[in-house]
Amino acid sequence: MSGTKRGSRNLLEDVLKAGLCTGCGACVTGCPYMAIHEGRIVVLDRCTIEDGDCWRHCPRTPTDVSGFSEKTQGVPFDFLEPGAIIAVEMVRSVDAAVREKGQDGGVVTALLAFALDEGMIDSVVCSKKDAGGAPHGFVARTARELLECAGSSYEAAFTLEAFRKIPAGNADRLAVVGVGCQMEALAKMKAAAPVNGGNPQNVQLTVGLFCGWALRSDIFRPLLEEICDTSRIVKFDIPHSPGTSFDVYTKDAGKISIPLDDIRPAINPACQYCWDMTAEFADISAGSAGSSFHGWNTVITRTPRGAGLMKRAVAAGIIEIQPLPESRMTKLKASALNRKKNALRNLARKSGTREDLGYISGLPAGLVDALLKD
Amino acid sequence: MADIAIDNPGGVVLLMGNEAIARGAIEAGIGVAAAYPGSPTSEIIPTIAAVAGKRKIHVEWSSNEKVATEVAAAASLAGIRSFAVMKQNGLNVASDFIVNLNMTGIGSAGMVIFVADDPGGMTSSNEQDSREVAKWFDNPLLEAQNAQEAKEMVTWGFELSEKVNLPVFLRGVTRLCYTRGNVALGKLPSGGEKKAFFPEIWDMYNPAKSRFTAGPSQVAHKNLHEKLKKARALFEDSPFNSYAGPENPELLIISSGVCTSYSLEAIEELDVADRVGALKLGTVWPMPEKLIEKRLLSTQKVLFVEETDPFIERSVMEFAAGRLPEMGGLAFYGKRSGHLAPFNEQSADLVIAALADILNIPLAPRDPGYRKKAEEAMALVPARPINMCAGCPHRATFWAVKNAIARDGRNGFVCGDIGCYSMAFAAPGFYQARTMHAMGSGIGMANGFGSLGDYGFDQPVLAVSGDSTFYHAALPALVNGIYNQSNFTLLILDNSATAMTGFQPHPGTGMLATGAPAPIVDMEGLCRSLGAEVRVCDPFDLEETTDAILAMMQKKSGARVIIMRHICQLLKAKRKIPGECKMRVDDEKCLGDSCGCDQLCTRIFGCPGLMWDGAAKKAVIDEAICVGCGLCADICPAGAIIREEARP
Repeated sequence: MSGTKRGSRNLLEDVLKAGLCTGCGACVTGCPYMAIHEGRIVVLDRCTIEDGDCWRHCPRTPTDVSGFSEKTQGVPFDFLEPGAIIAVEMVRSVDAAVREKGQDGGVVTALLAFALDEGMIDSVVCSKKDAGGAPHGFVARTARELLECAGSSYEAAFTLEAFRKIPAGNADRLAVVGVGCQMEALAKMKAAAPVNGGNPQNVQLTVGLFCGWALRSDIFRPLLEEICDTSRIVKFDIPHSPGTSFDVYTKDAGKISIPLDDIRPAINPACQYCWDMTAEFADISAGSAGSSFHGWNTVITRTPRGAGLMKRAVAAGIIEIQPLPESRMTKLKASALNRKKNALRNLARKSGTREDLGYISGLPAGLVDALLKD
Repeated sequence: MADIAIDNPGGVVLLMGNEAIARGAIEAGIGVAAAYPGSPTSEIIPTIAAVAGKRKIHVEWSSNEKVATEVAAAASLAGIRSFAVMKQNGLNVASDFIVNLNMTGIGSAGMVIFVADDPGGMTSSNEQDSREVAKWFDNPLLEAQNAQEAKEMVTWGFELSEKVNLPVFLRGVTRLCYTRGNVALGKLPSGGEKKAFFPEIWDMYNPAKSRFTAGPSQVAHKNLHEKLKKARALFEDSPFNSYAGPENPELLIISSGVCTSYSLEAIEELDVADRVGALKLGTVWPMPEKLIEKRLLSTQKVLFVEETDPFIERSVMEFAAGRLPEMGGLAFYGKRSGHLAPFNEQSADLVIAALADILNIPLAPRDPGYRKKAEEAMALVPARPINMCAGCPHRATFWAVKNAIARDGRNGFVCGDIGCYSMAFAAPGFYQARTMHAMGSGIGMANGFGSLGDYGFDQPVLAVSGDSTFYHAALPALVNGIYNQSNFTLLILDNSATAMTGFQPHPGTGMLATGAPAPIVDMEGLCRSLGAEVRVCDPFDLEETTDAILAMMQKKSGARVIIMRHICQLLKAKRKIPGECKMRVDDEKCLGDSCGCDQLCTRIFGCPGLMWDGAAKKAVIDEAICVGCGLCADICPAGAIIREEARP
């Protein structure tokens, strides 16, 4: 599931033009041949490097997921399970203000603020929404800055661009927050550090965000501009019940609900090829899928490092925890597996054969057939 | 030459072809000379301008060749000899006027049009044979072999023009214009005061009478043909035509212009002067048929040697076809037979090969190792791909254009145009120009592309124009685009000069051809007054320029203009304006050919002030070439190119 050495020309053909780019931001920093523009990666010039970081770190190039799983999670990769699991719980921030600003339980913001406060890390690579609600990679150094980053943007945030911009010589201990594809890219960087900028060995903590899909800003933004003054947007949400609307909270007009179906055309088509709903390569993953209790997050603690932080945060009274009901656990696992089946099905449809699943390679043929039998 | 108007009849001086042509016009006593710059003719106007005050000549750089020809024609109509100068493309621009001027005829004073073709397109976007226009328009045309003859032909051209009452063409080629030769000077006119007066004033009792309004064209055209007959008769005895060789040669070469020199060299080289005769034709159109007839009847084989089209070849064959009983046995060689090509430049070598083939002379190399030696010598010559100068503002503009088009992502493209920035079709402009035709035609084509919205056309369209080109031919297209609401963005690359042809002033520079001050035709105000949205950028501010291009590209309708204003680096050097800074590469930071750079500055950006040190695998500044513009510091991804203290 790995090994090919390629450069930006291949990235252009096999990822960007092939419609696989998720906008994780891993490739673009430190490369003068690529840039981010309005939610897209654009290639500016012809690069001749045949063994480039862009290809090496892209989560949509063939990946040795097993190797990474052993290395970062300490367990072998099991395609049928939602990643390494130490515990799955319902968690929320004790601070109501954090919950209000964040998504559901505000756990990610609360945990990271705590990690900054207790000195586990010096800064957090995350994304911050600009005045118009569009996300950009950002490095938060204080709890206050972190709170400004709370809440989902539902767009690809190119967070890893901000990570790569940190000079290689910088010794800050970092946490990185991101969705599945970004966690995969980060795992790839840990396996082979970038030539210039962003030292993955400094990453002490990774917090994954559950992700169903991301929106393409070039389609989503004009849509948004039609319904409101984007500079007055406070927050976006897709409420669990009934789960059919996309809510935009603004300073002036309060909540504006858009039917979710109206938003769907703006979903990045690349997301249909993504297998990783729960960010399996993180230390801790958090989200709402599988948990329809308002004001709570579902949190998967994956690594001893993540478990340690959770334990200390509970002890410090930062977060509160309750067990996830069995039925919810079943639902979470089913959604995660369903995502994988969809990804395989869509990749097979794209290539025209189950033999070629694009960037996902090395799965036992029997497994693929079994997963796709219905 | 220090003084082109030196009064030294019979004195021999070394002159460039273009200088000799200027001298010929001065000896002819011209009062007006007008042109638009175009290589290979660009030196003629400055040469005349240098003595304009002393010789009382009105010299001007006109906004285009049609205007130049009209300016010259008006002088002729007012009794003042006049001279218009253009390259082959310029003749195309001027031709609509000339073909009408032929109908009315000129005034009492002669008018000569010098047009230079550029075989091989060394300094041109196209290759064409202007002699065809003389035949098409029914104009007399002379073609000069060398500088001396060019001077004499210009002077005699005025006499001919007055005799036949038509403008007279003199055709040259690049090799004539730029070759220096000994020229024996003629007499300068006394320079007596001549009053310009247009005689065709309105007569209320005979109001319709004027020679200079188009009358019934069938009458005018008939008169024109009468005039041509007269010219043909004058050409039969012209000393510009000559024959050398045996009375009944085995092969007759008929040549014109510089090809006469190639032919004579070929005859000498092959030592066939006793077998081959050479007829040099200086009065090319209308063809002196009696002279041609006499020579055709003296031989069995004819080889035509001429630059570009088989013009004489076809004319002679056409003539011979009308004399089939006497000339049916003639064999013709030239471009039709494939011995020579109707494209690219001719040379003595090509004529030698043709002659050897026709005469069955074996051609052996001088020594067996000659080719190998030549190839070895060629290998010593470093490749010199075309490039924009160090610090050229066009490089900055096209860098921004490239990045803006890539960012926009809708397959936008640039309609190219004529000037230094034509190089945008190749690496120096990052291959951004996707079309390139005539002066101003990029904007016209952008008009067209930008009008295809009804057919689902959704690509952003950019057009480029130089500042001089803007006044030359871009304006009507811009007006059209605004009027017809076409959707495009025009980038005017204003580098303060007609740079490609040698920094001639233009209406935007505030200077005349003589160097005297002139009012500035305000390009920005002009565009605004037409109704275009206008922005002015310094392309060296790459970020702002890229954003401006992007913003303009993304507008949904209307013609927009961005003026990219930054002085040409060569002009800066001429004016001794120092560079902004001294550049240095920090070896520690330079990423060289590794991931994250891949020689961006030397491989893609391509400023000649940067060099790739293959041993060290680092970029270095070429101190001799770098002008210290500082732009490379902005594109270096590693911050390794450093601007140091301002130059003293």
